[in-house]
Amino acid sequence: MVSTDEIRRPAEDRFAAELTSLADADGRAGNDRPPGWLLSPRAVRAFVLGDAELGVSRKFYGDDPLVDRAIVSLLGRQGLMLVGEPGTAKSMLSELLAAAVSGDTGLTIQGTAGTTEDHIRYSWNYALLLAEGPSDRSLVPSPLHQALVGGKIVRFEEITRCAPEIQDNLVSILSDKQLMIPEFGPNARVPARPGFNIIATANLRDRGVNEMSAALKRRFNFETVRPITDHAFEVELVSGQLTEELGERGEEVEVPREVIRLLVTAFQELRSGVTAGGTPVKSPETVMSTAEAVNVAFAAALEARYLGNGVVSAAEIARQISGVALKDNPEDARRLRFYVDNIVRERARTDPLWKDFFRAAADLWH
Amino acid sequence: MPPPISGTDRSAGGVLPEIDLPDRLRRALVLVEQLRADGIHFAPIRHHSPACSVALRAQLTDLAPAVILIEGPEEYTHLLPQLIDPGTVPPVAVLSHHREPGGRTTTGFYPLAEFSPEWVALRSGAAGGAEVAFIDLPWASASRRVDQDAESRSIQQERHLAHSTTLQALARLEHCRDHDELWDHLFELRTPAELRNWRRVFGDVFVWSALARSDYELPVLRGEGSIARESLMAARIAEHRQRSDGPVVVVTGAFHTLALIEALAGSDLGAVVREAAPQGGHPPAPVDAGSSWLIRYDFRRLDALGGYSAGMPSPGWYHRVWAGLSGTADPADPADPTVEMLVDIAHHTSRAGTSEVLGVADVSAAAAHAWRLAELRGHPAPGRTDVLDAVTSCFVKDDAGPSPALREALEAGFTGLGQGSVPAGTPAPPIIADTRRRAEDLRLNLTDSDTRHTSLDLRRNPRHRRRSRFLTAMSFLGTGFARRTAGPDLVGGTGLGLLYEEWDYAWTPMTEAELLDLAEEGSTVDEIALSRLRGLELAVDTTAARRSANHAVQVLIQAAVMGLSEHSAGLAELVRTHLQEDPSLASVISAGRRLVGLRQARDQLDLGEAAWIDDLLTRVEPVVAYLLSTLGEGSVEDDEETVDALLAVRRLDGDLAVLLRPGQERPTGSPITRELLRLRASPNAAIAGALTGLAVVDGSGTEEDLGAGLSAQLRTGADVERAVRYLTGFMKATPDLLLHSPELLSVVHRALITLPAEQFLGYLPELRRAFTWLKPRETARLAEQVTALGGIDARSDDLNVRHHELTAADLERGRRLELSLRESLAEDGLADWTGT
Ligand SMILES: Nc1ncnc2c1ncn2[C@@H]1O[C@H](COP(=O)(O)OP(=O)(O)O)[C@@H](O)[C@H]1O
Ligand SMILES: [Mg+2]
Repeated sequence: MVSTDEIRRPAEDRFAAELTSLADADGRAGNDRPPGWLLSPRAVRAFVLGDAELGVSRKFYGDDPLVDRAIVSLLGRQGLMLVGEPGTAKSMLSELLAAAVSGDTGLTIQGTAGTTEDHIRYSWNYALLLAEGPSDRSLVPSPLHQALVGGKIVRFEEITRCAPEIQDNLVSILSDKQLMIPEFGPNARVPARPGFNIIATANLRDRGVNEMSAALKRRFNFETVRPITDHAFEVELVSGQLTEELGERGEEVEVPREVIRLLVTAFQELRSGVTAGGTPVKSPETVMSTAEAVNVAFAAALEARYLGNGVVSAAEIARQISGVALKDNPEDARRLRFYVDNIVRERARTDPLWKDFFRAAADLWH
Repeated sequence: MPPPISGTDRSAGGVLPEIDLPDRLRRALVLVEQLRADGIHFAPIRHHSPACSVALRAQLTDLAPAVILIEGPEEYTHLLPQLIDPGTVPPVAVLSHHREPGGRTTTGFYPLAEFSPEWVALRSGAAGGAEVAFIDLPWASASRRVDQDAESRSIQQERHLAHSTTLQALARLEHCRDHDELWDHLFELRTPAELRNWRRVFGDVFVWSALARSDYELPVLRGEGSIARESLMAARIAEHRQRSDGPVVVVTGAFHTLALIEALAGSDLGAVVREAAPQGGHPPAPVDAGSSWLIRYDFRRLDALGGYSAGMPSPGWYHRVWAGLSGTADPADPADPTVEMLVDIAHHTSRAGTSEVLGVADVSAAAAHAWRLAELRGHPAPGRTDVLDAVTSCFVKDDAGPSPALREALEAGFTGLGQGSVPAGTPAPPIIADTRRRAEDLRLNLTDSDTRHTSLDLRRNPRHRRRSRFLTAMSFLGTGFARRTAGPDLVGGTGLGLLYEEWDYAWTPMTEAELLDLAEEGSTVDEIALSRLRGLELAVDTTAARRSANHAVQVLIQAAVMGLSEHSAGLAELVRTHLQEDPSLASVISAGRRLVGLRQARDQLDLGEAAWIDDLLTRVEPVVAYLLSTLGEGSVEDDEETVDALLAVRRLDGDLAVLLRPGQERPTGSPITRELLRLRASPNAAIAGALTGLAVVDGSGTEEDLGAGLSAQLRTGADVERAVRYLTGFMKATPDLLLHSPELLSVVHRALITLPAEQFLGYLPELRRAFTWLKPRETARLAEQVTALGGIDARSDDLNVRHHELTAADLERGRRLELSLRESLAEDGLADWTGT
């Protein structure tokens, strides 16, 4: 991501005002909050999908029923598994839900090949362990352990990157809703407080890397998050995020709306493999996600600001698509060229915006 | 109808969101009051909406109307006795036919489910003693059918609602995925008590659809016939108001209500509709009884129509909901449609026999999920999408989406498997009545739906011939009624000599269903078959790239075998043009062979003289002759096909001679024969070899000629490729000649053993193939003769060497090795050692 860590403060901080306003509204309306939840389910939905009256912004676009299902899954005994292509806002959704339900997005396990059992269960401070033996002081709780104790949501990112035997540590914890700690005695356990649940994310492109076991799958409700298909939504989203990414720099560069529209059109066509008019296009291997579109727009804005005249045109977009998005995958470059040759060339005849795009893209190959 | 009360809780269902009503709408609400004072009450409905049905029932109870007027073609009024017959059980539909001037039949369906407001109006009206009438334009009226293509054939169009931009925006605002979910959210998901508050319900429905209406421009509404229909409906309402004293209730799709109100209340905005009346007023309603029929229907079809935006989707779901709302459910066991649906889906999925098993725990988790979703969305109980969402969350256990078994279960559950019925003796639409009558006239047994067998003697029994034509037509149309298990297939060109046909047939409800589907294309089997043939004809004719005489002939024969010979005669012209343009010899030969088959079956098909067949046959000859000249341009690889074509041509030539020049012994004079004669000198050796051999067979050439030809071709020093092709052509065309003529055999034998070894090996595959055209017995005899020629005793052990483990490649390597060994021995003057 182009964003820096300072900008990406946790959601509960960034949207603190919104969360407060939603909690207040809950209080005024006397809405029931599920045990352990900071907000009512409807307020959680409003946090994700927006509520103009309460000054709450819409943060996730394109599939409102999915958000409803996700919230309701968190109310039940099953965990929530968000699967989908990279960049479809799985992590974002999981962060937003954790922020709204528990007010805490920090309880996160990052799945990697190196994730061990300790990351999921608990580990020990060995100095204290040697000095005092197993005790609450010498035990180092995992995020999952903390979530059980605190009655909060734990997030498990990219779960399929962990080895299957590591993943399977979750099975008994999720089915019994408790964590056994044999070091404390034969029946020692940490029971889940109400409000505990898990949101896992998995990348469809990683499928088959570490297929989840059937036993683990059964503990989750699956939700497939799809790329946005609504053009207007995606334009709104990219513009909004770009403004956020640019921060103060936003005042020094102008990003015309129609350039963003062109960017989104190109991304949607390359992503789906077909133009709005039904002409087939070759889809790149690179993920043409909304997040990537924001990256392209951001890079184009910087180019316009520092190397250009301060106004983003389709030319910067074209250069950044091949530079930022397609990196140096030669196969993808060919696919993009196919798109430019067959689709963009035609549009360039009648549309000055596409003409800029075409010229810049054509320059890249000579 | 008081103005709708807008909700305060924006997340709750069942409440129209706060909207600034457009001016036109606010004024219309005043007009509503005015009309009400005049005794005209509106029930603006959505087709197949249980919510509207509950409201309507309450309204009819409250108002006890003297007259109930329903949106539906006027001629349906004559069907009232059938519609209200206790034996009529929904889903049923009224089927409308109209014969267009061009002869095409356009068809419309007007379906009624138990939970359709129109059905409630009909039944309650009958029970309460009200006069009931349909008031919309007749199906035969041109404005009714402006946009009826083959697909959109519902008489209850609601696509305005689906496509309204206002409603789409409203759906977004309410977090609904489409206008159907929005409708459920706002209307279906009210409590029964709220639904009985009909003033409120209809007030909201009116606003909802008036918003949609404002998205459409007048020219659009006029062009699609809406204005013309509303003009008639308004006029009829006024007429009934005049004639009757009691309250009048008007049940129409809500989309029309605004226009009807404005027209009737004398508003300026209503002038458009009022002035659309024809000069001299609307004609009286037709007393037409010959163009519409009550038929039984099923949920599957109802749902399919829903796909064209005609009423609500998922009748299987609303059927369950209605059972609760209408009080038809067992009061001791007030079924919860959510649980019922989830149980059914789980059962259906688990029964599919895959490893996917959904148990009690899954069902209760899904039910809890559905109820929580309902709560989140402000519904008093789960609605259609709440249940669908619960299935998505709880029954799909993977990232791969729903399994095929689950998909099927969803379809069975939400579409529903229900079928309606109509009382015995209800006049059936012509297609079914006509087909049954015809089958019964042919003494086919339709008493039950068991499969029966019939064996048809085509040559001797005229009724059997008629049966055959009918069964053939039924199978051509894919009705599933009849299946031929044996007999000649003139269209496919197989079994041409056979005289008996064997058929299995069964008249099942599916047969009737399929026939009803076909009803769109005509009112008799023959009519529909003709319309299908026209489609085929068009397909053959318009695709220039595939100009094929064979295809054209198949269409023509298809007509003939179904007894549509008049049409066949018409199709002859199609064949004529295609014969002229078909570039493919193979296709023309096939066409010719099929025509010969047709000519031979002339009497079985009762075609009479059928001079047009002979005419076509005469035209085949020169075309074949012409295309023959292009034969032989191919390479070795094409030889086999080329010789096959020659054989087929020769057979066709013989058949044509018999049919066209009876009494003439040999087909000497035909253009084909002449061309074949010329080809004997073809530079293509395979053709020359084949035709020279064939000449011996039919007596136009002698064995001496052939022997001379063979030795000339095969003599030492000749072009070996030519020689081999000549030989293979000859062997393929007339394999057994060699057996019967020792002279020929010795010519070939000598030629082969004197071939230089390298070349012999090179052509070995082709040579081996050339001798495979003999039957095994002939091969054995030939082998004996060859061994005799070579002076070997066939029974001696010399030939009894078997090497099963060796491959052909091994053998060849061995031979080469032996050859070089012999050569080097000879070089070294040691030829003696080799023992030859
Ligand atoms: N449907 C969407 N609604 C809102 N933002 C989206 C959507 N799809 C993609 N994005 C944007 O793209 C980013 C994708 O990031 P991320 O959540 O890391 O995706 P994932 O975890 O699926 O790979 C989000 O942070 C958001 O800015
Ligand atoms: Mg992620």
